[in-house]
Amino acid sequence: MIELKKFSYWYPGTEQPALDRVSLSIAEGEFIGIVGANGAGKSTLCYALSGFVPHFYNGETEGQHTFNGQDMASLDLGQLAGQVGLVFQNPFNQISGARFTVREEIAFGLENLGLPQSEMRARIDEALELVNIQDLAERSPFSVSGGQQQRIAIASILAMQPRVLVLDEPTSQLDPDGTRDMFTALNKLVSTRKITVILAEHKLEWLATFCDRVIALGGGKLRAEGSPQAVLSSEQMLRLGVGRTQYSEAAARLLRTKQLPVTLEQAKKALK
Amino acid sequence: MRGGSIYIERSSGLHWLHPLTKVALTALCFASAAALPGLPWLLALFVGLLLPLAIWGRLTGAFLKACLLVVGPFVLSLTIIQGFFSGGETVLFKLGRFAFTQEGLLAGLTFAARLLVALGGTLLLMQSTPQPHLMQALTERGFPPRIAYVVLTAIQIFPSFQDRAQVIMDAQQARGLELQSGLLNRARLLLPMVGPLILGSVMDVSERAMALEARAFSSPARKTSLNTLADSLLQRAVRWLLALAAAALLLWRLWSALQ
Repeated sequence: MIELKKFSYWYPGTEQPALDRVSLSIAEGEFIGIVGANGAGKSTLCYALSGFVPHFYNGETEGQHTFNGQDMASLDLGQLAGQVGLVFQNPFNQISGARFTVREEIAFGLENLGLPQSEMRARIDEALELVNIQDLAERSPFSVSGGQQQRIAIASILAMQPRVLVLDEPTSQLDPDGTRDMFTALNKLVSTRKITVILAEHKLEWLATFCDRVIALGGGKLRAEGSPQAVLSSEQMLRLGVGRTQYSEAAARLLRTKQLPVTLEQAKKALK
Repeated sequence: MRGGSIYIERSSGLHWLHPLTKVALTALCFASAAALPGLPWLLALFVGLLLPLAIWGRLTGAFLKACLLVVGPFVLSLTIIQGFFSGGETVLFKLGRFAFTQEGLLAGLTFAARLLVALGGTLLLMQSTPQPHLMQALTERGFPPRIAYVVLTAIQIFPSFQDRAQVIMDAQQARGLELQSGLLNRARLLLPMVGPLILGSVMDVSERAMALEARAFSSPARKTSLNTLADSLLQRAVRWLLALAAAALLLWRLWSALQ
C-alpha cells in the first residue's frame, strides 16, 4: 500500500536528512507503531507516509516513495485526503475554526469531499460514537478541553473513512481513559474495516498491546522493525532513548530472563 | 454569542429567514441610509422596520444595546461637531465665542440617524444569522470558499487569540514582569507580550494549513453542506423586491442630486 525504498528527506535549508535511507513496506489492515526519542524523525515519517512530505513541505527527497504503486509526488493532497488521514499532536490547530458545533466541525472534511447530507450524518454519528463524544455534538469545539478537542480532531478524520490513518502522538493530551478509548477505537477500525493505522507514540504499553508491528527510529534512520515483543524488549531501545514498557522494566528487575515481556499478559505468564 | 461572533441563538422567524433575505434587507438599509432625505424618514424606517424586526427576532434588548454602543458615540461627537461648526442662524446656546445652532444639531442628528439605519440593518443580520450559514449561503451563490474560510476563522478564532495573549501575560508576570505599573512602563513592556503572541501565531499557521489539507480543503470535489438553508419562493420574491427597492432608492437619490 505505502512503500518507501531508501527514501531520504531533507527539510529546506538543512544539510542533515530528517529521514535517512528509510526502507519500509506497509500493507492494508496493519496496525503499526512508530517509536523513537524526540528528534528521531517520527513526525517526518508520519508526514511522508501521509503525503505531506513532499507535497506540503518543500525540500529534497531521494529514493522511492509510492502509494498504491503510484509515485507519491504525482498525487495531490486534495485527492490523498480522502484516502490517507493525518492527526497531529496539537489539538487546537486541528479545529477548522469555521464551524459552530462539534457536529459541524466533523462535517467540515465531509463537505469538502462533496458527500451527500444523509451519508454525512451517518458518518458523523458513527465517528462521535467511536471516540465516545456523543455528548459534545452540539457544543462549540472551542469550549471543550484539550483532550476533548483531540477526540474531535480524531473523529473528524475518522469520519472521512480514510484507508490509511496516520496519527502523530495523538494521545499526548488525553487522560488514561481517553487513551484507552482511542486505542480501542483504532483496534476496532483495524479489525472490522481493515483500515491501516500508523501511530507514532511514546506510550509503549499500548503499542505493545495493540500493534502488529513496531518500527524504531533513531537519527532519521530505521533502527529496528518487527513484532512489538521483538522490538520493544530489545536492549537497543534503551540505547535509542525509547525506553521500555513498565512490564519489561518490572520483569527485568524481578526475573532472569532473556526474553522480556512487553505486555501485561506476557508479564503475568512470565511471573508465574 | 458564539466564538467572536455577535450571533445570538433564538428560536424566531427572523432567525429562520434565509441569510440572503437578510443580506437584501441590509442592502436596503444601506441604500435608505444614503438616499432618504431627512431625519423623520430615517427614524421612521428605524422605528417602523428595524425595531419590529428585532422584536420579531426576540432580540430587542440586545439589538438596542448594540445600537446604543455602536452609534451612541457617533451621535454625541457628530452633534457636537455639527452643532458648533456647521453654521446656521438659530442659535440654541453659546460656549465662549462658539455658537451651537439648531441647523447644526439637525445635521448631526441626521448623519447619526443614517449610521443608525445602516448599522442597525447589519446588526440585525449578524445577531440573527450564524456566520457559517451566511458564508454557506454566499458560497452556494459562487462566493470563493477560501475567502469565506478566512472571514469565518477570523471571527471564530479571536477569543482563542485572546486566551493565548492571557497565557503569555501570565507567563511573563510569573517571570517577574511588572504589568501593574504606570502607562509608560506598560507601553515599554508591550514587546515581550506581543512578540511571543505573533511568533506563536505564525508558527501555528503552518500546522493549521496542514490540518486543513488533511480535511480535504483543496479537494477538487464540489463542496456540499451538512445543513440545508431553508428557502422559499416567497423569500426569493421578497429578496428581489428588497434589492429593487434599494436600487430604486439609490437611483432616485442620484437623480435628485443631478436635478
